[in-house]
Amino acid sequence: MATFTQYKVYYPFVGPCDPCPPIRAKTYNTPPQLYVPVQPPGLPQYDPYTALKQGTLWPAYYSPYDGRIESKPGE
Amino acid sequence: MAHKQLTEEYYKLLHEIQAVDFVLVELNLYLDTHPSDSAIIEQYNAYAVKSKQLKEEYARRYGPLQHGDMADKPYSWPDAPWPWQV
Repeated sequence: MATFTQYKVYYPFVGPCDPCPPIRAKTYNTPPQLYVPVQPPGLPQYDPYTALKQGTLWPAYYSPYDGRIESKPGE
Repeated sequence: MAHKQLTEEYYKLLHEIQAVDFVLVELNLYLDTHPSDSAIIEQYNAYAVKSKQLKEEYARRYGPLQHGDMADKPYSWPDAPWPWQV
């Protein structure tokens, strides 16, 4: 089962007259706040040290950025 | 002039201060949008007290942490290590 990531991908149309070499797979980030914009009360929390490391107190809203994704899926 | 050597204990205390202050920031942001969440307000107050204690502990042991802390004699504020050197 593919591991869950917050990145989704779409595949733009590639035509013979494209001016530049085609980018076949474009990825975009869909962080949790898109789906749960208003934070419900009583969410579980990280402990302080983990929260400091993760950058958020709420695991539900953890949205890592693993740098530019060079090898895009489906490239 | 021997520079102040920082012990393992120093970094542990600093790390804890940073963690507690980060939790305070996060809870503060949460309370901005959920002012009536009393459980979180209690947690915020608990961490606020803890943060004050930690900073007093730091000031007592290592000198002033931030502007406005009690200065020690001789006046050590401008001495090394500066925050980015720690």
